Amino acid sequence: MPRPRYVFGEAWSVARSSPRQTAAAITLIALALYVPGLLALVSHNLGRLAVTEADPTAVVLTLDAKADIHATASKLQTDARIKLVRIVGSDAAFERFRRAYPDLGAALADLKEAPFPPSIEVVLRPDAPAKTGAEIAAAARLWPGVESAESEEEFSRRFRDALALVRNAGLFLGAVLTLAAILSVASAVRLALDLHRDEVGIMRLMGATESAIRAPFWLYATVEGFVGGGLAVGLLYATYRFATHWLSRDPHPVLAVLWVGFLTLPTALLLPAAGAAAGLVGSLLSLGKKQTRRATRIA
Amino acid sequence: MIQLFGVSKKYGTFRDALIDVSFRIEPGEFVFLTGPSGAGKSTLLRLLFLEEPPTAGQIIVNGRNIGVLPQGQIPYLRRTMGVVFQDFKLIGRKTVFENIAFVQNVLGLSRVEQKRRAYHVLKRVGLHHLMNAYPNELSGGEQQRVAIARAIVNEPTVLLADEPTGNLDPVLAEEIMRLFVEINIRGTTVVVATHDLEMIRRTGKRTLTLERGHLHDPDRVRESAPIVREAPFLPAH
Repeated sequence: MPRPRYVFGEAWSVARSSPRQTAAAITLIALALYVPGLLALVSHNLGRLAVTEADPTAVVLTLDAKADIHATASKLQTDARIKLVRIVGSDAAFERFRRAYPDLGAALADLKEAPFPPSIEVVLRPDAPAKTGAEIAAAARLWPGVESAESEEEFSRRFRDALALVRNAGLFLGAVLTLAAILSVASAVRLALDLHRDEVGIMRLMGATESAIRAPFWLYATVEGFVGGGLAVGLLYATYRFATHWLSRDPHPVLAVLWVGFLTLPTALLLPAAGAAAGLVGSLLSLGKKQTRRATRIA
Repeated sequence: MIQLFGVSKKYGTFRDALIDVSFRIEPGEFVFLTGPSGAGKSTLLRLLFLEEPPTAGQIIVNGRNIGVLPQGQIPYLRRTMGVVFQDFKLIGRKTVFENIAFVQNVLGLSRVEQKRRAYHVLKRVGLHHLMNAYPNELSGGEQQRVAIARAIVNEPTVLLADEPTGNLDPVLAEEIMRLFVEINIRGTTVVVATHDLEMIRRTGKRTLTLERGHLHDPDRVRESAPIVREAPFLPAH
């Protein structure tokens, strides 16, 4: 096996000898991985909205600021179909909003009063019949101090179903785009390495072993793919920051809620890893054909 | 020693590049391989440095039947041979020193040793002052001398040259041929393929003449092919 110092030195020499091709390949890799990365970013933010609590809220009662919240809660607790009643005061609601949407919460920090009214969240028993939430909400609307009572049952169910559909579609599309990205990366690397085909032939004639010839190119292509993937992460972060800045200036009722978080670190690291894998695949395809004694004529 | 016994090389169905060629070259001998274009000179050299296998016959180099050498052993055998081409075949992105050193690099030699050997062979060819130059900064004659230095840096037992002066003017060609003679004097077997009959005449070395794949060598009698079983080829390093 060739020495590591030789392999690294040769890989660096290959990169230095064709800087334009290297830069073009890295850019192509970055763009190819940017699209599935963007899909992952949108999916990540959609997922934040999914309610996956162990006790999902079925009904939300919004109360007047002067209402007796405890009396209303006690009244609800007498219903045998109800498992849990959660009182959410104004301050607690504000804190919850800030935790869920840190970028938007900062905009409300200067307010003297908490902008959210007190509310009560109702969790039904698992065996509660269908439309129980709607019945409780309808009855609660008539109680004193209750400004509004909404059933979240149907919405939660439909939202979760829609989210699952979008995420599955996103995963499928993401997988297809990632595969396309990998093939694009492999082709870009292969084109770059084809520039060195004559050189590879000369090295063979000089008695270099196949591993000594190929290892530097494998390393070069892998690093090229890794850097391209890293650049894709950078482009995604720039996109995220730009969108956040744009939405904070002119908030959109839906997008402002959706667009609040960047990719997690493990997900972000997938892009450079995918780029590196694609680069390696490309170099294997380009140089993978073993030297045969019938196919080595140099032009 | 190089021995060929009934070696033939056929491309496709109809083209016979070499037909039943047999000869022997003694260690330390200087031999010209000549003939018109298409005679089979380059084909013969390609068989000798294992770029292609023969269709028939045996090729024995230093006691080994190289025609049946395992694929993995080829690089190690090539390190015992030096090869020089008409178009130099230097790697453009490497300096003169790097072109000579890279084979030593894969052998695992230290940087100090690589520099010492490279300087030594470059001095022999008169180019030690151009170690950091790139091939495109050199003249044709200088490039060929670098190629020769690369070919001899591992002190090969055999040096093969395929039309080494084909791209050079007569003065430079004379210089290059003088280098080959000097290398031969030090004990390396030299085989030069050329159609420069004037050069051959002036050098006065033994000549093997090919014509349409046949060898005209009345001084050598064809010997019966020995049975040579391939022993494991041990790398030099």
